[in-house]
Amino acid sequence: MKRAHLLLGAAALVVSLLVPLVVQSDYILQVLFRIYLFAALGLAWNLVGGYAGQLSLGHAAYFGAGAYGLALFTRAGLPVWLALVLLIAVALLFALLIGGVSFRLRGPYFALATIAFAEVLHAAAKNLPRVTGGDVGVPVPALFASHVHRSFYFCAVLLTAAAAWATVAISRSRFGYQLMAIREDQDTALSVGIHAARTKLNALLVSSVFTALGGALYASLFLFIVPDQVLSIDLSNEIAIVAMLGGAGTVLGPLVGSAVLETAAELFKNEFQEAHLLIYGILLVVVVLFLPEGIVGGAAALLRRRGAKGGWRAASE
Amino acid sequence: MDLFAALQAVVNGILTGALYALVGMAMALIFGVMRIVNFAHGAFLMLGMYAAYELFLHAGVNPYYGFPLVGLGMFVLGYSCYQGLLRPIHGRSDFMQILLTLGIGLALTDGVQLVFGADYHQINLPLLEKNLHFGSHITVNAPWLVSFAIALAAGGGLYFFVMHTMMGRAARAIAQNRNAAPLMGIHLHRVQAFCFGLGVAVAAVAGSLLLPVFYLYPGVGDQFTLKAFVMVVLGGMESIVGAALAGLVLGVVESLTSLYWGNEWALALDFVLFLLVLSLRPGGIFGSQRA
Repeated sequence: MKRAHLLLGAAALVVSLLVPLVVQSDYILQVLFRIYLFAALGLAWNLVGGYAGQLSLGHAAYFGAGAYGLALFTRAGLPVWLALVLLIAVALLFALLIGGVSFRLRGPYFALATIAFAEVLHAAAKNLPRVTGGDVGVPVPALFASHVHRSFYFCAVLLTAAAAWATVAISRSRFGYQLMAIREDQDTALSVGIHAARTKLNALLVSSVFTALGGALYASLFLFIVPDQVLSIDLSNEIAIVAMLGGAGTVLGPLVGSAVLETAAELFKNEFQEAHLLIYGILLVVVVLFLPEGIVGGAAALLRRRGAKGGWRAASE
Repeated sequence: MDLFAALQAVVNGILTGALYALVGMAMALIFGVMRIVNFAHGAFLMLGMYAAYELFLHAGVNPYYGFPLVGLGMFVLGYSCYQGLLRPIHGRSDFMQILLTLGIGLALTDGVQLVFGADYHQINLPLLEKNLHFGSHITVNAPWLVSFAIALAAGGGLYFFVMHTMMGRAARAIAQNRNAAPLMGIHLHRVQAFCFGLGVAVAAVAGSLLLPVFYLYPGVGDQFTLKAFVMVVLGGMESIVGAALAGLVLGVVESLTSLYWGNEWALALDFVLFLLVLSLRPGGIFGSQRA
C-alpha cells in the first residue's frame, strides 16, 4: 500500500518534471508555475489549517517575509544562498511571534489575530520606504539567468514535492496524530497530555518555511515586489481557499484545489479583468455549503458510498 | 498652535468615531451577541454606500434623507442572507462561518466591481461647502455634524432595540445560552435572522452616511470589517455600548495618529491595539468578562 503511494508520487513528480519537454509556451509554463506554487503554499497552510484545524488568514506574513527577505538581504550585498537561509530564519521568527500570541486564542480570535499580524507587517512594508522601498517597491534579483520560465517551473514543482513529502511524513507521525487530535477536540487532546500550544507552533514553523520559500520564488520570477502584492489579505485568503477548495487535511487536497482555482482564475482573468476575485468568493460559498470537505473529501465520500475504497484517503486519515 | 491642532484632531476623531461606532455596534449585535463571525460586514457597508449613491444619482435622493430606504433594503438582504446561506451551516464550526462570510464578502465586493467598475466616485452636496467655526481655531464641516446626529440617533435606537424590546431580549437570551433559549419558546433562527438583518442594515446606514465624505469604490468596506472586529473586541464582546465607545476611541486614536505619524499608520495602530487587548485583557477595555 505504502509502496504504491510512493511509486505514484514519484511517477507524478517525474511526469511534472518532463512537462517542459512538451510545453514550449512561456505563458502556459507561467500558469503551471502558479498552479504548483499555490499547491505548495496550500500544502504548507494545510499543516496548520487542515491538520491542526487552526484557521490562519495571515499566511501572507510568511510569504512576504520570503519575498522581502530575498530582495533586502541580496540588496545588502549578501549572496543568494545566505539570503535564503536568513529569510527562512526571519519567517521562523515571525511564526514564533505570531504563533506565540495567537495560539493562545481560539476560534475567530485566532483567525483575527493572524490577520492583524499580517496587516501590521503590510503597513510596515508600506510605510518604511527607507527599508522596504515603501509603496514604490523594491527590485528582486533573478535566480536564473537563462531558461527563466522553465527553471522557475522546476523550482515550483520541487517545492511542491517537498511540501507534499513533508505532509505525508507528518500525517503519519506521532506529531501528525497530535495535530489531528487538537483539531478534533483541543480539550480532550490536552487531557491526554498533548502540549497543544507547542504542537501547533511546530506545525506553524514548518508551514512558515515552505511559505517563505514560495514567496522568495514568486518574488524572483517577477523581479519586483510591492507590499500590496506580497503582503495583502487577498493573498492570505487565496492560500486558504486553495486548501479548503481541494480538501483541508488531505495530501491531495491543496494540489487539486490549486489546479482548479488557478485555472479558473486564469480563465476568469481574461474574461473579467479586474473582478477575478468574484470566482474565489463564489467557490468559497459553494464549498462551505455543498462540499465542506473539499473536492477530494467529497469525492472520497462519494467513492465510499459507491462501495469502492478510496485508497489515497487512507494516507491522510 | 500645536494644542489647537491636537484639539481639532480630537474633534475630527469624535465625528469620524461616531460613524465607526455605528459600524461597531452593528458588529457587536451580529458577532458579539449572535456569535456570527461576519467577515462580510464591510462588504454590506459598501453595498449600502453604492445603494445610497445610485439613489442619489438616479432619483436625486440626498443620502441624509435616503438612509432609511437603504437600511430597509439591506435589512431584507441581510435577513435572506441568513436564512439562505448562514442557517444551513448553523451548528458547524466558526471556521466554516468565517470562510462562508469571507466568500460572501469577496463575491459582493467583486460583483459590485464587475457591475459598477473599479472607479472612484464622489457626490456633491451643497452642504459640503458649509463649515462651522467654533472659536477661532476649531472648524467643523457641516455634513459631519449631520452624520454625527443621525449616527447618535441610530445608535440609540439599536441600543433600545437590544435592551428593551422582546426581540432584543430574545437575542440576549440566545447569547447567554443558545441551547436553553429555544426551550423557553424563542424561535432561534427567526431571532438570529432578524438580528443579522438589523446589523447589516445598520452597517449600510453607516455606509450611506459615509457617502458624502468618503470616496466610493468596491473595496471601501474592507477596512471596516477589520475595524468592526477590533471595536467589538475592545468593547468587550457582548456590550453594544462598549463597541460604541471603542468606535469613538478608535476615531480619536486614528485622527491623532494621522496628525503626528501620518495616515498610513492609523490602521496598523488599530491592529496593535487589538493584539494588545486580545493578549492582555481579553474581556475588552470596557467589558467585564467574555462569555
